[in-house]
Amino acid sequence: MAEGLIVRSLRDGSLPGEHAPALCLEDSLTPPLASHSHAVFRHLLTSLLSTGTGTAVVLVAFHRSPSFYLSLLSPTFHNSIRLLDCYSDPLAWKSNHHPPPSSHSPQNITLLTNLNHLPHFLSSILHLAKDFGAQGHDRVTVAIDSVTHMLRHAPLPSVLQLLTNLRCHEKISSLFWLIHTDLHEPKVISSFEYISTMIASLQPIVQLPDYANANISASITSLEENYSKAKFNVRLKRRNGRVKLLCEELLIEQGSVKFSSVPSVSSVVAQNLIPKVQFNIQLSDKERMDRANVVLPFEHQGNGQNIEIYDGRRSLSESQKDPSSIKIGGLSEQKRSNNNKSEKGEIHYIRDSDDEQPDSDEDPDDDLDI
Amino acid sequence: MATGGGQQARPTRPSSFSRVSSSSFSPASSSSTSTSLPPGVRIGANGAAFVSSGIPDLDRILGGGFLVRSVVMVMEDADAPHHLLLLRNFMSQGIVHGQSVLFAGPTKEPRSFLGTLPSPVVQKEGLKIKHDVSDVQDKEKGLRIAWQYKKYFGELTAVDSHNRDKKQEYSSDFDLRKPLERQLLNSQNIECISTQDAFDLSKLQNHCLTFVSKLSLKDGINSNAGRIAIQSLCAPQCGYFEKDWDMLSFIRSLRATVQSSNAVAVITFPASVLSNSISKRWQHLADTLLSVRAIPDEDKDLAKLLTGYQDMLGFLHVHKVAQFNSQVPVILDASTYSLKLQKRKSLVLERLNQAPVEGSSGVSYATSGSCSSSKGSLLDF
Repeated sequence: MAEGLIVRSLRDGSLPGEHAPALCLEDSLTPPLASHSHAVFRHLLTSLLSTGTGTAVVLVAFHRSPSFYLSLLSPTFHNSIRLLDCYSDPLAWKSNHHPPPSSHSPQNITLLTNLNHLPHFLSSILHLAKDFGAQGHDRVTVAIDSVTHMLRHAPLPSVLQLLTNLRCHEKISSLFWLIHTDLHEPKVISSFEYISTMIASLQPIVQLPDYANANISASITSLEENYSKAKFNVRLKRRNGRVKLLCEELLIEQGSVKFSSVPSVSSVVAQNLIPKVQFNIQLSDKERMDRANVVLPFEHQGNGQNIEIYDGRRSLSESQKDPSSIKIGGLSEQKRSNNNKSEKGEIHYIRDSDDEQPDSDEDPDDDLDI
Repeated sequence: MATGGGQQARPTRPSSFSRVSSSSFSPASSSSTSTSLPPGVRIGANGAAFVSSGIPDLDRILGGGFLVRSVVMVMEDADAPHHLLLLRNFMSQGIVHGQSVLFAGPTKEPRSFLGTLPSPVVQKEGLKIKHDVSDVQDKEKGLRIAWQYKKYFGELTAVDSHNRDKKQEYSSDFDLRKPLERQLLNSQNIECISTQDAFDLSKLQNHCLTFVSKLSLKDGINSNAGRIAIQSLCAPQCGYFEKDWDMLSFIRSLRATVQSSNAVAVITFPASVLSNSISKRWQHLADTLLSVRAIPDEDKDLAKLLTGYQDMLGFLHVHKVAQFNSQVPVILDASTYSLKLQKRKSLVLERLNQAPVEGSSGVSYATSGSCSSSKGSLLDF
């Protein structure tokens, strides 16, 4: 479900007046998660393209060569993807010595060498996006294979500005990127999380054992599970200002990725988020009125009616509870229940014993000789 | 122009007895001071001047509003935009009172934020009359209440009764669905600045200085109060983001600027994108510190724990409340409040209340073994 939500959100793009949704896919070096996260990235790429609803992708490739990505996709989709090749020659070594052979590169790969200059970078991406517009694709998604590589060439604020500008641009409908959390300071990661609307991260299913203390033999065999499974945590920022937290299991089989939902372990979010709360002992106006309307079980109601004693043994037509079940061994307990089943509250009073005269105005303590 | 005359507002800060006693001993600040106050400013306890934050509940919690000449900081949550609600109400209140407003935001077009400002709810006449009658009754009753019981009369003592006959109320309720009228937004004293492309904060600093100097250009007696609202000052996409010390010295200079004039500054910042030590420094520079938190959606545990979970937008936590002319710290009854929309239009802050617990299931919240365990408080009268 989490994966479905992500793909749908990326495919739908943004509502008018909003910035484009952005997914931040985080991975870490804990083996073998690094390869898993790339598998998830590729999976997202293929699922976005394969639906055939007019989504086009501009892929900025830093980590692998463009031909690798093209080989992943079936040739029918080659028209829906444009690649910005930042892998082959990021530092402009080759182009300085040999002029780039323009006829050799396939139609949908654009070589980019000047990675320091981010405005140029931005304009190349937008240029490719506009090309798609000409073809009739109205939704263009930008995928960046590893923002970590971008941060090598340009400072953090400018990379973030680039991503924010992409989100604001009307041609871009959604955006996702991959980032390696171990290679950056925590504040860098939180800055990327700040500008994204969805954050997905991978965690190992079986934690690595603490070699110093724990019992090693049992846990090493279970570590094998890590190679085929992982925990997929997603944090979605919703439009109503709340955060949706999801956790699923990831199964890797021969390069393809499957998601399955796991019986969710409810996190202890509540305890951390709020302090000790008290009950609300204030009464609302309606509650005050209801309280005023309750008829108290006095024998003199003060309105001249006959004195009626609610005797537990006789069942009255108004009583809603079976009071005979309360009598235990001849003694009936005094029970006072204030239930709001009917319009007014009711109080059921069951007398202690039968030989008490009704309200004789006698002080029961009078027979004490003091 | 209706001015707020120098009455003393009865202090609404709960359970701080020395505060109450100090106000009962304070000299005749109830007599009108020689200088009349600018619109939207009110004198509170200890002779301090307050402006409204735009949210009446927040004014009550903070003991009158935002202190003039102070810096209020709001720590944002990266997951939710609730700080914008606070900023919007703050700016709208200033515009409605005719105060000068300076807004700085990390977008290319900060002027567009003005389009989202809410307009005040129009009070019906019948409501006003009813309040006046109850005020008279309360005044009679309230004559001989011993000081230690005053805290139970929080809502009954009508503090704003004096202001009802004035043309402008100190604090208005805002309807978040209705935008503020265009002509109010086009007035001269609203400035907007973008901080996104700035590589350093010197431009913003100069703007603040000129803004504040314009405030006192009018005759010193009746100088208008000014409001400075800065959204996401340390947003990561701003050019100056990595310059931690520059940002800190900007805040220090803003504090000095604001302290020497009739202005209030509200700064929101995402604390999670700063390193811990720098974030602590930011928090220490604030006179009043609030934070907003997002709540998880469809969380069954929270729904069981709190009443009204469905309507909540988020939490507001009050860390620090500004003090003026007093050594006594403000101790609040509760420091976490939930943000809710009343009738989908105005923002209210409510205390968190625990939901009633079913006898059998007994969600025992008191895992820390506190005495307020859920079952205990239901049964022992």
